Amino acid sequence: MAELSIENIAKRFGETEVLKGISIDISDGEFVSLVGPSGCGKSTLLRIIAGLEEQSSGDIRISGQSVAGQRAADRNLSMVFQSYALYPHLSVGENIAVPLKMRRMTGLQRLPLLGNIMPGAREARGTIEQDVSHAAQILEIGHLLDRKPGQLSGGQRQRVALGRALVRNPAAFLLDEPLSNLDAKLRVQTRAEIAQLHRQLDATFIYVTHDQVEAMTMSDRIAVMMGGRILQCAAPDVVYEDPDRIEVAEFIGSPKINILPVEVSGEGRLSLLDQPLNLAVPGANRGVASLGLRPEALRLSGEGAPIHGHVVHSENLGSELYVQVEVTGLEEQVTLRTMPDRRSALTLGTPVALDFDAAKALVFDADGARLRKLRNLSATTSEVA
Amino acid sequence: MTRDWWKHLILILGVIIVIAPFYMMVSYSFKSPGEIDRGEGGFFGRQEMMVDERCVKLRDPSREDIAAAALRFPDTTDGNIRNALVAEAEADCAVRPVVFNYTKAFSEAPLLRYLLNGVIVTASIFLIQVVVALPAAYALAKLKFWGRDAVFALVLFCLLIPVHAIALPLYIMLAKLGLTNTYAALVVPWTISVFGIFLMRQFFMTVPDDLIDAARMDGMGEFAIVWRVMLPTAIPALLAFAIFSIVAHWNDYFWPRIVVTGNRDLFTPPLGLREFKGDGDGSYFGPMMATATVIVTPLIVAFLLAQKRFIEGITLNGMK
Repeated sequence: MAELSIENIAKRFGETEVLKGISIDISDGEFVSLVGPSGCGKSTLLRIIAGLEEQSSGDIRISGQSVAGQRAADRNLSMVFQSYALYPHLSVGENIAVPLKMRRMTGLQRLPLLGNIMPGAREARGTIEQDVSHAAQILEIGHLLDRKPGQLSGGQRQRVALGRALVRNPAAFLLDEPLSNLDAKLRVQTRAEIAQLHRQLDATFIYVTHDQVEAMTMSDRIAVMMGGRILQCAAPDVVYEDPDRIEVAEFIGSPKINILPVEVSGEGRLSLLDQPLNLAVPGANRGVASLGLRPEALRLSGEGAPIHGHVVHSENLGSELYVQVEVTGLEEQVTLRTMPDRRSALTLGTPVALDFDAAKALVFDADGARLRKLRNLSATTSEVA
Repeated sequence: MTRDWWKHLILILGVIIVIAPFYMMVSYSFKSPGEIDRGEGGFFGRQEMMVDERCVKLRDPSREDIAAAALRFPDTTDGNIRNALVAEAEADCAVRPVVFNYTKAFSEAPLLRYLLNGVIVTASIFLIQVVVALPAAYALAKLKFWGRDAVFALVLFCLLIPVHAIALPLYIMLAKLGLTNTYAALVVPWTISVFGIFLMRQFFMTVPDDLIDAARMDGMGEFAIVWRVMLPTAIPALLAFAIFSIVAHWNDYFWPRIVVTGNRDLFTPPLGLREFKGDGDGSYFGPMMATATVIVTPLIVAFLLAQKRFIEGITLNGMK
């Protein structure tokens, strides 16, 4: 177990700059997710940490020691691949034993047949077998040890890949989209199991995914990556509720956050579709900005509400109801979360008026940076009334 | 069925064209010289007893034989004794044509020795080809290095060079090194198979990169990856290559004929066929075809055993 520190890593493939100076410190036993759309460089970063790819500049320290120039095998990290990458010709037990055999046995001891009579080979094989069965026990795959990977289901293969990773007590686990080849139901189940495994092993996990739900549900911290940079690295609830940038707000959260174009007038007051809102951003430049409202920040309201439109679609998930509203004057539809019992009142075409919770409003400037200094004007107006 | 009949007709015609020489070969190996000459006797021949004339000639009685046999045939002339002895020899030398052909095949020339040579030469060639081709194919498929595409282009280019074009320079090189009439002359020119490198490279391209990265994480070096990961996953492709390589070198007549001159201990099976060629009378077709049958049988058996995996290897989809 160890802490990792990634210092200003950059990676160029020819002219294209894939990583533009990534820095992140991961403490011992932490579960950090690297999340972002495909092509954001998250897998490249993981491969650089693993030693499978070399960085163009920057350094990586494991337990304070720089691993620059070290081979992947010498970094004591283990990796779980998206395709599981099990050796197709070896049984499950042999697959899990490979990393131990390569480390604990000499080349002579590993020879087929002849290796058995080499001194020390039998003892080495004995301890390896013990460790393999221990790992198999943790993952509940003891009954599969004699099978070939081709005879296993996707979920079982995934466990074997995890087994091969955890059998040698690595400094950290690197997981590259390990769930994306599983079906939806199994994915939810395995998600919980991996989180549980993390608690049980108390090991450092670095988890790469493009699925923000996986990142949200499992991690201690999420690093949201886009265009070769980490935009924000914080705990899941912070990233969700308090995003630094509009890209982060848009990427995290399902259904997606509603982004409404607003105008900043003098004194920083915001107006939506030429209607002034009870919200001001003191000190902001005049011009366009964006107002981000999560589906749960919106609420149904009566006359005088800032947003008007009609229902075009609704999705009932049982515990909640998502309603798509086409807003007059806006190209994009707005998603509203409400209780399923409102369903009968929100049939297709019903005109609705929407208000929002000013405390949950997120305002971004024209460049997408968050404007945190918000002033709620509704308190004062209500006093006047 | 009704709509596809013409496809089957074409296939059946093709099969007949391919099978016919084999049919003739096996059939001739069963027949007596007379039946071969007259083209009669069906597939197996009539298998009537025939007289091996060479055997009779070898036992042609000399003066001493006649004198020694005088006790057995009392009260008769030497001429009659001689006739009786010849009749005895003819009776002893009467054999079934099939037995005649196959015993001749093994006795006239050291066919077993030739077969052993064939095994030694083809196995050495194949093993060394694999030892060279696998790492080369791995590097060309999975490693990134400067000039890789140029090297691969050269490999493809080498596929275009016909063997016969470089036979003479090769022979001169071997002769200058004093290697003609050795196993080395039969093996060395074929140890680097560009076809093998190409075939294995194409197969390795289908092996997922993740598998190689996983092996690297598990602590394997590049050579360990070649032998411990790539080789076992490439068995079907390797089998396909084995068939191409072994068939080509087992059946090769051209190259052994050039570099092996005189020393019959180094003859490969196809050279053994020369033992029966053109003695003017053409009566050795039977043993010759028996030899040919013996030579091709191991290959056909090997192909039938490996057939399924061979086709897997040709279609190049070892892993998903």
